[in-house]
Amino acid sequence: MKLAWQNIIHDRSRFSVTVLGVSFAVFLMVFQGSLLVGFLRAASRLIDASDSDIWITARGVQAFEFGTTLESRVREMAAGVPGVMQTDRVCMAFAVYRTPKGKQQVVALVGADPNVGKRFPVPDVPELAGEISPDAVLYDVSDRDLIAVPALPTEVEINRHRASIERQIQGYGAFLGVPFLFTSYRNAIRYLGFGPDDAMYVVLRVSKGSSVADVKQSLQERLPEVDVLTRDEFAHKSRMYWTIKTGAGGAILTAAVLGFLIGLVVVSQTIYANTMENIEEYATLKALGAPRSLVARVVLTQALLCGTVGSILGLIAVIPVINHATSLIPWIYMPWWLPAVMVVPSLTMCSLASIASVRSALTVEPGRVFRA
Amino acid sequence: MPKKHLPSTVYEDVTELPPSRTARNRVKRAAHSAGLAVEDQLEPSLGVDEARSSRFLGVEGATVSFGQGDARIWPLRGVSVMFERGKLSLVMGPSGSGKTTLLSMLGCLLSPDEGSVFVDDVLVNQLSETEKTAIRQKKIGFVFQAFRLFHSLSAIDNVALGFELRDPKQSQRLEMARQLLDQFGLGDKCNQEPNELSPGERQRVAVARALAGDPPILLADEPTASLDAQAGRNICQILRNQVDEHGRTVVVVSHDPRWRKFADRTITLCDGQVEQEERNL
Ligand SMILES: Nc1ncnc2c1ncn2[C@@H]1O[C@H](COP(=O)(O)OP(=O)(O)O)[C@@H](O)[C@H]1O
Ligand SMILES: [Mg+2]
Repeated sequence: MKLAWQNIIHDRSRFSVTVLGVSFAVFLMVFQGSLLVGFLRAASRLIDASDSDIWITARGVQAFEFGTTLESRVREMAAGVPGVMQTDRVCMAFAVYRTPKGKQQVVALVGADPNVGKRFPVPDVPELAGEISPDAVLYDVSDRDLIAVPALPTEVEINRHRASIERQIQGYGAFLGVPFLFTSYRNAIRYLGFGPDDAMYVVLRVSKGSSVADVKQSLQERLPEVDVLTRDEFAHKSRMYWTIKTGAGGAILTAAVLGFLIGLVVVSQTIYANTMENIEEYATLKALGAPRSLVARVVLTQALLCGTVGSILGLIAVIPVINHATSLIPWIYMPWWLPAVMVVPSLTMCSLASIASVRSALTVEPGRVFRA
Repeated sequence: MPKKHLPSTVYEDVTELPPSRTARNRVKRAAHSAGLAVEDQLEPSLGVDEARSSRFLGVEGATVSFGQGDARIWPLRGVSVMFERGKLSLVMGPSGSGKTTLLSMLGCLLSPDEGSVFVDDVLVNQLSETEKTAIRQKKIGFVFQAFRLFHSLSAIDNVALGFELRDPKQSQRLEMARQLLDQFGLGDKCNQEPNELSPGERQRVAVARALAGDPPILLADEPTASLDAQAGRNICQILRNQVDEHGRTVVVVSHDPRWRKFADRTITLCDGQVEQEERNL
């Protein structure tokens, strides 16, 4: 076993290169993985923020950002279905925002009834009563340069209607480069010019004791011309739309998959190359009567050591970079499990790569040790 | 040697040792138990019977080929050589005559296409890789032309690894390695790495590593070919002493004629066949 350690200590420069290769790979995997996870999360963020059980959308709506209006009777009919406890409305449409200085900017205006969800950012919830007006407009801190308000509150224009920007929130930043603005439902339809009974999404909660699946089915029977989805189904549909069907998500998905594969290849290549450098010595070890298990242990120890040190360095490097990247890519997100999930395959790859080299060491032509 | 421990039937007819389950298991068991256990079982039967002791180490009718079709070559064709226990045998012959191939077979690193290989009275060419590894581990010390020291380990660690390989539980290995290096005049070079040593010193470390754990057989392939005259003589003398003082069986492959006066017997190979055998001492 001393051999494994000594090899590493002795050939510090080669060991460093290997460790660097592994840390680069881990960095790449975690960074690309964070982009993908963040993108997926952002793609369904507002759906996930609702506390509703079921979302009703116009037929064929693919993603939250691209809804179309529902007939007003949908909400009334849905409310009459047994098991439906409460119905609320959500709308989202693009609007033109004018900064106090007169600069124009397309925004995605989201309006929702107060009971859509505790995490759903709307101004007219009881918790905010008194702090801001019920028709206030909210924006995300990451979009502050685009929104460009000098102070809070500030009077601005949305679709030529007066609006009051009153609060900065966090975690609902621009996902498509277009900033989100949030306001109450009645205010939003006023800015957007919808009729008082129009809705884009009807979200509803199922009463205790009724099954979501049953209610969903009766809703779909009653309302065959719309799509009835559970919250998770709609979230999933939205994520799939953004990652699979759009170029943006597709690029991120491809990059993440490539990052992962390149990472694995780099790890296995460097480990394999490192082991092959010493292949003669493994042949000698074997010739001297070392059992297979010992040869394997020496190789594996080195590989896992490189893998572990490399992974740690990669993670140490990637965390500040991701934190820094949030100012450019607000939706990038590294969940706690991502590093673990990426380190496991890289260590596995180290082992697999070294098993390949152990195999070479063990099957090395015996006469080789006699060669000068 | 405690003869009474030996079941008298076990090695009754070593030469005909079949590749049967029982024979294999016997060797396996022996090999997997402590190194001495194998010797305890094998050596008494040898002392008793001359015919058997003549099959202590060697090959019979060994043919080896490499490659296929037109590219096929036969480094050895039906070679039979037995090396005597407790003697230094020299294998000479021009380059490409099959010397190393012969030594590889004796070292359980190569199996012949045809013929038998005996190591320490065991027919080894039918054994599994694991069993052959165990024989190398317990019975054979190797010395190579290219030294083959572990480059990252100091001289003493190289030798200590030799002890460790023979007996992983050996806790005295550093002290024993130091003693061995002392004997070879390397007491002050214990902590040097191989690339800090002269070729002669490296080969002495390699010999010390080969001797660690006291193997009965020492196989050396061109051990002096990379050394100057002085260092070469030194190695010749060390190996000779192993025979005279420790009763080891040493086989040296070399085309260095200086070895003749250190060898008990010289076997000359030519074109894959034994050309000449002569007794020197
Ligand atoms: N592993 C091998 N594969 C193919 N040819 C080999 C191999 N080992 C040895 N040979 C060939 O066998 C012949 C005898 O080799 P060797 O035993 O090394 O000779 P010597 O040691 O006497 O110089 C040579 O022609 C050599 O090229
Ligand atoms: Mg040779």
